[in-house]
Amino acid sequence: MKVVPSRSSEWVRPVTSQKPASAIIEIDRVSQVFQTSARKDHLALSDISLTIDEGAFVSILGPSGCGKSTLLYIVGGFVSPTSGAAKIKGQAITGPGPDRGPVFQEFALFPWKTVLGNVMYGPRQQGVRTPEAEAQSRALIEMVGLKGYENFYPKELSGGMKQRVALARTLAYHPEVLLMDEPFGALDAHTRTRLQNDLLNIWERDRKTVLFVTHSVDEAVFLSDKVVMMSKSPGRIRQVIDIDLPRPRRRNELLLDPRYQKYVVDIERMFDEVDETGSPS
Amino acid sequence: MTLLATSARRAAPVFACIGLLAIWQVASLALKNDSFPTAIEAIRAIPDILGDKESLINILASFRRMAIGFGVAVLVSIPLGLLMGRSRAVAAFFNPLLMVIYPVPKAALMPIIMLWLGVGDIAKTLVIFLGVSLPVIYHSFEGARAVEEKMLWSGAAMGLSPLQRLIRIVLPAALPEVLTGCRTGLVLALITMITSEMIARQSGAGNILFNALDMGQYDTVFAMIIIVGAMGICLDAIFERVRARLVRWSEPQFDMPLSFS
Ligand SMILES: Nc1ncnc2c1ncn2[C@@H]1O[C@H](COP(=O)(O)OP(=O)(O)OP(=O)(O)O)[C@@H](O)[C@H]1O
Ligand SMILES: [Mg+2]
Repeated sequence: MKVVPSRSSEWVRPVTSQKPASAIIEIDRVSQVFQTSARKDHLALSDISLTIDEGAFVSILGPSGCGKSTLLYIVGGFVSPTSGAAKIKGQAITGPGPDRGPVFQEFALFPWKTVLGNVMYGPRQQGVRTPEAEAQSRALIEMVGLKGYENFYPKELSGGMKQRVALARTLAYHPEVLLMDEPFGALDAHTRTRLQNDLLNIWERDRKTVLFVTHSVDEAVFLSDKVVMMSKSPGRIRQVIDIDLPRPRRRNELLLDPRYQKYVVDIERMFDEVDETGSPS
Repeated sequence: MTLLATSARRAAPVFACIGLLAIWQVASLALKNDSFPTAIEAIRAIPDILGDKESLINILASFRRMAIGFGVAVLVSIPLGLLMGRSRAVAAFFNPLLMVIYPVPKAALMPIIMLWLGVGDIAKTLVIFLGVSLPVIYHSFEGARAVEEKMLWSGAAMGLSPLQRLIRIVLPAALPEVLTGCRTGLVLALITMITSEMIARQSGAGNILFNALDMGQYDTVFAMIIIVGAMGICLDAIFERVRARLVRWSEPQFDMPLSFS
C-alpha cells in the first residue's frame, strides 16, 4: 500500500493485520486560495485528498510555505477551505471542537495564566472539577519535564518550555485527534529526542490519531505510520509513504535498523527534489 | 535591586511634589503678583475649605458624579471596544460615530446638554461619561484587535463559545491596554468634572474654584487647584496599584538600560 493520495471516489485504506482501520479524518479535494495584500490570489493548497485512519500517526513533511499549517487549520476547523471538504468521523468539519486538539507553531499560551492555569484551562472548560483537573494537570506538567514551574507565567519561560506547556495544555483535555504543528521545532536536540520518546509512549499507550507537521525527516520516520510528502507552490501531496517499522519503536534500536535508514535516505532525497521544483507562483 | 535604589524610587514622587511647590514658592515671591499667591499661602487656605461643611459637601458631590460617570463609562465602553476590536461589522458601525464625537471637546457639549437635561447632576455626569468613554473604547478596541488569533483558536478548540472567548480570552489578553485606557479616562473624568462645573455653575469643586476666582480670593483658587490636583494624584496612584496587580503577568522583565556596562 504505497504512494497513492486517496481520492474520494475510491478510498484507499491500508488494512493492517492487528486492527481493522477505519477512517477518522477524510480530506476531500481541498484547495485553499488566499488573498494576498497585493490583491493577488495565492493558491496555498491545491486539490488535497487524504484519509487518516483512526489511531494512525501521520506526519506531513514539506518545504516551508507549502501549506502544512493551513492544512492543519482546515482539519482543526479554524479555516474553511476555498473548495473541497474535510470530515471527521463522516461529519463535515464546520468549526473547531474538543475532539481535535491543536498544538500551534506559535504556542498561543494564555499569558495571564500560570503554567498550571494554562494546562488546567481545557479540563476545567470541559467540566472536570478543579481538584481532579489540577491533579491531572500537575502529572502532565511533570511528564513534559516542567515540574517546579507550575506557578511560572509564560513570559518567564524559555521558548522550549513554552512549547512543552502548549503540548501539555492540549493533551490535558484528551482530544481524539492531535493536530501538532512543528511542536518540537523550537526545542534543543536533547529535549526534542526526549519529547519524541514521550509522545511515542503516550501514543503507543492510548493510540490517539495524530496529524503531525514537521520539517525533520528523522522525526517523521521515527514517529509515523505514514509520511505525507508535500511540494510547494501550490501545495500538493507529492507522495504518501507508509513507514513499515515495528512498534513499539525504540530509538536506539531504530537508528541501527537499515530499514529505518533507508526510509530516511529515500525521503530526504524526495524532499530535496520537492524543494528544488517549487517556486513562488 | 538594592535597598537604596528601592527607597529612592519610592520617594521619587514625594521629591517631585516638594520640588514643584518650591519652584512655585520662589516664582511667586519673585513675581510679587496679587493674583499669584505663594505656595504656603495657598496651602494655608486648604483647611478653611475642607473645614467648611458647605464646601465639603460640594466637593463630595463632585466626586460622586465623577465616580458614577467614570464607572458607567467603563462598564459600557470596555465591552463595546472589545466587540469592535473583534468584529469588523461592529467596528464599521460605531467607528464613524466615534470619529465624529472624538475631536469635540466634551465640555463644549455642555450648553446643549444643559438645555436638554437641565443643570443638575444628570447633565454633568453625562459629560463626564462622554469624556471617559472615548479613550476607554479606543484602547479596548486596539487591545482586542491585537489579541493573537491562535489564542482564540485554542479557546474554541477547548469548547469556548464566542461570548466566552470574548470574556475569558479577549478581555484578559487585552487587559493591559484596556487599563491604560481606563487610566487616561480617570484623568479625563477629573478634567470634565471641573469643566462641567465651570459651565454649569451651581455646585461642586469647580464651582468653588470659579466663584473664588470671580471674587478675587486667589489663595482659595490655588488651594482648590491643590486639592483637585491631590485628588488626581491619589486616584491615579490607587488605580496604578490595582492595575499593576492585575497585569503583573504582562510587565516587561527588564527596565530599558540607559547604558550597557
Ligand atoms: N492568512 C494568509 N493570507 C495570505 N496568505 C497566507 C495566509 N496564510 C498562509 N498564507 C500563504 O499560504 C502558504 C502556506 O502557508 P503555511 O503557513 O500553511 O505554510 P507552512 O507549510 O506551514 O510553512 P512553515 O513550514 O514555514 O510553517 C504560504 O505561501 C503563505 O504565504
Ligand atoms: Mg507552518
